[in-house]
Amino acid sequence: MVVLALALAWQLPDAGWLRLSASDGTTADRMTTALDRLPDEPRVLVGFDPDIGTYAEIRPTVRALLADLLARDGRLAVVSLTAEGRALASAELARLARGRANADRLLDLGFITGAEAGLVDITRDIRLPDGVPDSLFAGMVARDGLGSFDAIATIGGIDLGPRSWVEQVAPRTGDLPMVAVVPTVLLPQVQPYVAGGKLAAVLGTPRDGAAYRESVELGNLDRLGEPFEPRSLPVLVGVLIAIAVLGQALGTRVMDALRAIRAREAA
Amino acid sequence: MSGLFGTTTSDVVATWVAAVVTLVVLGALLGERRVFGWSQHLLAGLTTGFLALIAVREVLGPRLVEPLAADPAGRPELWAGVALVATAAAAPWLPRQLSAIPASIAIGSLAAFALGGAVIGTLLPQIDASIVRSGGSVAATVGGVVAAVVTGLVLIGFLHGMPRGRKLAAAAGTGRWLLIAGIGGWLGFLILSRLILLVDRIGFLLGDWLGVAR
Repeated sequence: MVVLALALAWQLPDAGWLRLSASDGTTADRMTTALDRLPDEPRVLVGFDPDIGTYAEIRPTVRALLADLLARDGRLAVVSLTAEGRALASAELARLARGRANADRLLDLGFITGAEAGLVDITRDIRLPDGVPDSLFAGMVARDGLGSFDAIATIGGIDLGPRSWVEQVAPRTGDLPMVAVVPTVLLPQVQPYVAGGKLAAVLGTPRDGAAYRESVELGNLDRLGEPFEPRSLPVLVGVLIAIAVLGQALGTRVMDALRAIRAREAA
Repeated sequence: MSGLFGTTTSDVVATWVAAVVTLVVLGALLGERRVFGWSQHLLAGLTTGFLALIAVREVLGPRLVEPLAADPAGRPELWAGVALVATAAAAPWLPRQLSAIPASIAIGSLAAFALGGAVIGTLLPQIDASIVRSGGSVAATVGGVVAAVVTGLVLIGFLHGMPRGRKLAAAAGTGRWLLIAGIGGWLGFLILSRLILLVDRIGFLLGDWLGVAR
């Protein structure tokens, strides 16, 4: 029944008052400002480590961010430190290739083992995987390592996210600006980094992601974004069902307690 | 709609496989547990295979075997790595003092990286950011005080087995409730993520697979 209700809600047209992007755009503006501060044709290291369980939530925003960076004539080097992140990075890179993204502007650095130790390794040097085509960008990354980048964009998941980058990479790289896209569940973890200036910007809720997606101007790279905006009505229906189920359990416990009190009084 | 698949034959096959497996998993909601159990085995097998694949293709091959084959005498540290891997693999048949070495090195180095990073990258900057300074805005001052009070109460909530007075016990109880509230909020975020995943799967079935576009 739940699945049927969600499927029905998925088919219904979105109501205007449910448009996520209609809310406060301060966080989205902060991301745009952080990207605007980068030099022309920025070289960005993308730490791509989302997990499969939460990727559906951030996927549209991740695609918009990658397309936005490419629309700014950026060069992106994608690296993963988790197996799930590597699988999703491969899928997204294949999708960008299908969307005819400029292959010279994309560099697949593959998978690096060791999680946090691997991050420290990145700060020392970056080894190109076998089969990477020769290009100016690849040569620069092989020669200068992390010094060849203007910024770091981390796509976080539950296993590894901006926290690890802030803890392991930021102290070793000085003032390299760092932005992040994370699922809502990681927001309490990364929000203090924004307040403390360790992260220039974070998109961490569906609302902020929607506001950012609506604000970016991708031009002809619009094809690299999500084909349809995520539906908010079925999520709302699901939240209401979850509240009803949890509320029913709580209500049952309260009623049992009341009955027990009455029974004691009657005795 | 995930958009992860294209229009080639292999992509169409992948879409059908993904749709069938999604239906199998959703079928568990209707009580079909046996096929769902097989899908769990399939997931475990695929995950293990994928891990082995990237370990061999992207780590062991290019970073261990190929450098050693190219210059066996020039990279002594890699031979030490080979020895550690061999010791770990043969752990069931080796004396405990020997088999504990690779595990100790792995755990020790991971702990050192994690602890050092947490102190330098998180703890000290966060303490610095949360210190209430004169001249700051009222909101920042209130926020800093609230954060300090909540942190203190939760830390007191972890005191166990110590003699307590009534005030300390009340503070510990408040700290535990604050901790539970924090975990509750975190679970709320997690439920939202999972709901979006479920809606995304429904969108995949209706949009990518059946082509029932809105």
